[in-house]
Amino acid sequence: MIDFLIWLEETRPSTWMRESGGAFFSSLVFHSIGMAFVAGIHVVTDLRILGVAPGVPRSLMRRYLPALWASLAVVTVSGLALLLAYPAKALTNPVFYFKLAAIAAALWIMRALMRGVLGDSRHDAAPAPGKEKALAAASLVLWVAVITSGRFLAYTAKVMLASHLLY
Amino acid sequence: MEDLLYSIGQKSGIYNFMHTSWGWPTVESLHFLGLSLLIGCIGLWDLRLLGVARGVPMGALHRLVPWGVGGYALNLCTGFLFVVSAPNQYLYNPAFQIKLSLMAIAGLNILVFYRFAFRPVRAAAAGAPAPAGARTAAAVSLVCWIGVIVCGRLITYFRPPYHWCFWC
Repeated sequence: MIDFLIWLEETRPSTWMRESGGAFFSSLVFHSIGMAFVAGIHVVTDLRILGVAPGVPRSLMRRYLPALWASLAVVTVSGLALLLAYPAKALTNPVFYFKLAAIAAALWIMRALMRGVLGDSRHDAAPAPGKEKALAAASLVLWVAVITSGRFLAYTAKVMLASHLLY
Repeated sequence: MEDLLYSIGQKSGIYNFMHTSWGWPTVESLHFLGLSLLIGCIGLWDLRLLGVARGVPMGALHRLVPWGVGGYALNLCTGFLFVVSAPNQYLYNPAFQIKLSLMAIAGLNILVFYRFAFRPVRAAAAGAPAPAGARTAAAVSLVCWIGVIVCGRLITYFRPPYHWCFWC
């Protein structure tokens, strides 16, 4: 594991991410903007299922799916770039795996909701069933966990680079 | 100004709380949560005015806006905690100055929008495009809030006196 991390952080793309000046910072900026849209669209959709803005037909929330996919692409690419810059910093930190698991769970919930209560305009007239309201509430909690663990990553890292572990 | 903010931080205990091992990251997490709520509610509203998700009735979607204002209020509070805990990191930082200016422009934009452009938007049919004035306000709003996020990241990434500053 350590050998792999040392090899990875010495590759040219990885050193470029750390040393080019603008690359790391712009990845950070794109990750923040993308996070706002990814978490924002999920939170708003969850709120809608929980009964906020009742005049908006639930199935129409699907019209924001292209915006959601675009922001997911932005956070994934910028997240991988940040990971490439300091692979050991994240991969040696349990908080990072917690964040990934929370993201996976939240995306799985949204997929289930898109196929269920958001998936068919014939369901729009009635309030959402209790089970899907519970899923929407769980999704809200998960996004709070994703954001919090993402922020704490910067404070809980034990090493920046794997080569530091050698000394 | 710096002395006043500093003494507020000291006397209220905010400074001590923020400089515990978990104080700063916890408040940062709340700040990020507030910005996601703001972008989720105000940003999706702006996108709808700009023609994304056409079909969503604008009058009904507007019910989300108070939640975005809630996110904004959360960020004013959490932002205040940062500033009184390290005033010199903010007051002299051009990124912070630009951030406040963009917030002021976004605020003026809101006043103009509700004074001149909101009534026809609220009355519009579900699939109707927003009038040009409302679309302009939506574009200004989106650009301002995204600019606010960029400046927010700049504040902590380039710290004075080594800050990034294009007029220095």
